[in-house]
Amino acid sequence: MTTNHSRGFKLQDALFIGFCATLLVALKSMLRLKLGLAGHSMLLMSFFYLTCYCTVGRIGAITACGVMAGAVAAILGIGNGGPLIFMKFFAPALAMEIVLVLVQRFTNLRWRLVIVALAGTLAWAAKGLIEDLLVGMSWQVALARFSWKVLQGGIFAVVGALLVLPVVRRLKAHDLVHSESKLDQEL
Amino acid sequence: MPISHSSLLSSTPASIRSLWLSALAMLLALALSSAAFFAPTHFLPWLAGIELVLLVHGMLNQGKISGLVRYIVLQLLFTIVLYLAIHGGNKVSEGVLAVARILLAIVPGWWLTNTVSTEAIGAILGKMMPNKWAFVVVASINLLPYMANEVREIYQLQRLRGARIAPKQLLNPRNWGEFSYCVIFPLLIQLLKLARQTAVAAKARHFGYHAKRTLWPSQRSEHDN
Repeated sequence: MTTNHSRGFKLQDALFIGFCATLLVALKSMLRLKLGLAGHSMLLMSFFYLTCYCTVGRIGAITACGVMAGAVAAILGIGNGGPLIFMKFFAPALAMEIVLVLVQRFTNLRWRLVIVALAGTLAWAAKGLIEDLLVGMSWQVALARFSWKVLQGGIFAVVGALLVLPVVRRLKAHDLVHSESKLDQEL
Repeated sequence: MPISHSSLLSSTPASIRSLWLSALAMLLALALSSAAFFAPTHFLPWLAGIELVLLVHGMLNQGKISGLVRYIVLQLLFTIVLYLAIHGGNKVSEGVLAVARILLAIVPGWWLTNTVSTEAIGAILGKMMPNKWAFVVVASINLLPYMANEVREIYQLQRLRGARIAPKQLLNPRNWGEFSYCVIFPLLIQLLKLARQTAVAAKARHFGYHAKRTLWPSQRSEHDN
């Protein structure tokens, strides 16, 4: 039995998502030093997740990229989350995907990307809040840390989201984006 | 000479026993990497002792340590400079400890990649996720050195052309757009091309043609010689 016409992403798109996820993990491993730059990972995550979505042009690309990034990070032993490293990549991706589906019909693409990136930041900071509470921090301290993370991560995520469109438009200008979705017409 | 369909289907490079060992190695690497970040400081010498054994084992398996050493030395220098600049001299030991933990966290991953074959990792992942995605993960990890090399070459070439993307210049967010245009954009073009080439190469080898997972034989059959 052949499975040539399987559903899901084309192999080329799946490979591109995988390469982006691997690059995200590799770049994150270079920038992971804790020097008061909390939230810098949101720059990379929002940029690569949204680039995948805009390039592949399909719902599910962000989640796939998050799963791939989590798997690659777990295999290579990268990231300071230990067993939770998968969730570190997957939780923001899933939140971004859900919000993307919800806001798909609203506003222009640029603002949609910003909203989706902020949703990813909230999920990323919420994961930190849960961890802080699990290790026994008080609600006040945990919430203060959560707010600070949302602020810092949000700034980085918005910058990452704003960098996506110019890059993807150039890719489209070079005829490298071949999707025939509605998204393609918006670029 | 092309390899027949039957040999594609019947080839099983990784035995059940080696798959179990590979799965255990993956779990061990995950546990040790996690311990590097979660273990209290007084436990770190014990962890270092265990990972020293892994390091020796990896080197005995032809693992090249030069990349690991270069990465850690660069991390150490970078961290110490930043700690000195931001916190002054009284917190340098924290930076050294942070890099030590980074080293302890990456050694298990290095050991895993040097002792466990990518076919085995692919086979294990194939049992947990769809074959196509398992292939994507393994292909991505295999191509990581190539991608790193591409990033390095593009970055150096753009520096030579005068792009404002030196580490010091990148502290200014106004230069991030230039970094994105000069480095990330050409890199994405390379990744798109690489994805296309890899997909064509995989399909030429009947990837996805059969519902059952198939592997390219690790050794040539007698008919091919």
